[in-house]
Amino acid sequence: MDLINEKFLELRDRKEGAHIAHIYYGDPNEEFSIKLVEILVKNGVDMIEFGIPFSDPIADGPIFQASCERALNAGITPIKCINGIKKLKDLKIPIIVTTYFNIPYVIGFEKFLEMIKETGAEGILIPDLPLEEAEPYLKMIREKDLHLILQVAPTTSNERLKRILMNASGFIYLISLEGVTGSKLRINPSILKLIKDIKAQSTIPIIVGFGISKKEHAEIIIANGADGIAIGSAYARIYSKDLKNPYRKLFEIAKLAREIKIGCINGYRKRL
Amino acid sequence: MENGKFGKYGGMFVSEVLIHALLELDEAFKKIYPTDEFQKEFHELLKDYGGRPTPLYYAKNFSKLVGFKVYLKREDLLCGGSHKLNNALGQALLAKKMGKKRLITETAAGQHGLATVMAGNICGLKTEIFMGIKDIERQALNVKKMELLGAKIKPIKTGAGVLKDAVSETLREWAACSRTTHYLMGSTVGPHPFPTIVATFQSVIGNEIKKQIFEKEGRLPNAIVCCGSGGSNALGAFKPFINEHGVRLYFVEGGGENLNAENSAAAFQIGSPCVLHGSIMQAIQDKWGQIKPSKTRAAGLNYPGRGPEISYLCEIGRVKACYAFDHEVFNAVKFICKTEGLIPALETAHAVAFVLNHPEEFHSDDIVIINFSGRGDKDIETILRFFYGFN
Ligand SMILES: Cc1ncc(COP(=O)(O)O)c(C=O)c1O
Repeated sequence: MDLINEKFLELRDRKEGAHIAHIYYGDPNEEFSIKLVEILVKNGVDMIEFGIPFSDPIADGPIFQASCERALNAGITPIKCINGIKKLKDLKIPIIVTTYFNIPYVIGFEKFLEMIKETGAEGILIPDLPLEEAEPYLKMIREKDLHLILQVAPTTSNERLKRILMNASGFIYLISLEGVTGSKLRINPSILKLIKDIKAQSTIPIIVGFGISKKEHAEIIIANGADGIAIGSAYARIYSKDLKNPYRKLFEIAKLAREIKIGCINGYRKRL
Repeated sequence: MENGKFGKYGGMFVSEVLIHALLELDEAFKKIYPTDEFQKEFHELLKDYGGRPTPLYYAKNFSKLVGFKVYLKREDLLCGGSHKLNNALGQALLAKKMGKKRLITETAAGQHGLATVMAGNICGLKTEIFMGIKDIERQALNVKKMELLGAKIKPIKTGAGVLKDAVSETLREWAACSRTTHYLMGSTVGPHPFPTIVATFQSVIGNEIKKQIFEKEGRLPNAIVCCGSGGSNALGAFKPFINEHGVRLYFVEGGGENLNAENSAAAFQIGSPCVLHGSIMQAIQDKWGQIKPSKTRAAGLNYPGRGPEISYLCEIGRVKACYAFDHEVFNAVKFICKTEGLIPALETAHAVAFVLNHPEEFHSDDIVIINFSGRGDKDIETILRFFYGFN
């Protein structure tokens, strides 16, 4: 069995929602990113969304844009990222590689998948590759035993939702808001309804992301049936305030990570 | 979903958040555009507000000096000073009929931003324009015009503060407001259906050329030369001639200072297939797929990507991909000022420069049409600075 499924089963036994942290590797340098992931995992993060920086991240807000820009200016490349993933093997947690489609497109999609597979990562998430554009690659991804994490949004029609769920693998990523990462989140009835709609059609775990920044977000979302949350900009926001020495911010990041995890646990238990 | 592909180019590479808006737009365009009501309104506006048809001018002095017949398709005479209004009027009308309340767009030279606020005002839609801070500085006149007309200008500081960054930011904004707001894409770029919609609205240029050249010469031209980056004025002129294989089509991009990736915008020379701003197109990028900022003195050509359809037409050889360097462009400005008394936009001057500097492409009995895409008021400061070192 793959690590993502195993993790969700394990969390179910522990009665906890999943806490997924999204980072952009190499911001502001590789060493820090490795340390950041270690700290996150020690403080309640269950899976890592490992971002390969891209020059024009159109689904990302200002915080992650700056993150990509700093990493690229510091010389990060997809190959360095791939090697970075290998350094995380000992943490034994599921890793999903997130990047924009041009990166695998230029490397060659199949070659990219092989490189990802070799790192031990479980899957990929490509925010600018909607189902229709992903279709030619679905078989190839399955054959390589990788998950393609598909997204749904508040704007997704019922008919599309059905088709997306039919092709979903690993988990479904529910974009919580109309906008980009790091936007201000107001949890509204339409999100909670979308969670219900998905649950009515599929048993695939639901992860909600975009704009999650506090314990209460995680708690409400998971209490309403989601299986976990993905959080990213909120962590990057903290260390971007001290880029001369981002290590000084790890304490604050660890604290937020623990709180978010508490939200994930409380939310799950409210559900029972 | 129709995938909107041109060979390997095109597609809908955007976040799931935006898919509904693209599908909605695609459907609305297919339904509304062919109706008599829309056609009537659109063509009346083009005529009575825009000033269409624009003349096809026989440039006698120019022709004498180069030794073949040169006609200028006078898009500089379209209201607003460039071809951009054709598309802006079409999309604004469409947006209005779709029930949208607001237009957002990006602009570099300011020509498209200006056309958008003009069209927005006519249709009663609020307009917000995203513009890189570097472009705000070098296209100050158009910024003032847009503000006077009531557009809100949003300065974009990310990246190099140029068009590429403004497009990214407009796409992000659209993700947050697509239910009420239309992104009035300024060129034949972006995800499907934008490249097709923009080319359709701009093809009024080529349709007029065909009629006018038959009236004046009784035959098809031998060549049509257009400047471009995204490709809207070029596709607009080329569309009705794609299947006329006797007509040579030239697309002139911004060569910049030289063909080093750091100094140029010539994506067909130094670029490769790339996924940028929602579609696969030819673009300037590094070996890892990071998009490189382009460089040229013409703000309106300063985009690292070529739209999917022009990328495809160049790849199959139907359109010849060419370029002009900045110094050739400034000399072309001087030439056309002197011979024909016209001040071209720096973008437009690329097409003129190509015709002047490539006699090997043309024969003495050729009829050559240059799409004179815009006038140069906005560039006066830059032009004077280049020739006289002051402003
Ligand atoms: C006068 C003029 N010509 C040409 C262009 C290039 O745009 P396109 O490639 O879409 O024709 C611009 C863009 O701003 C322009 O202002």
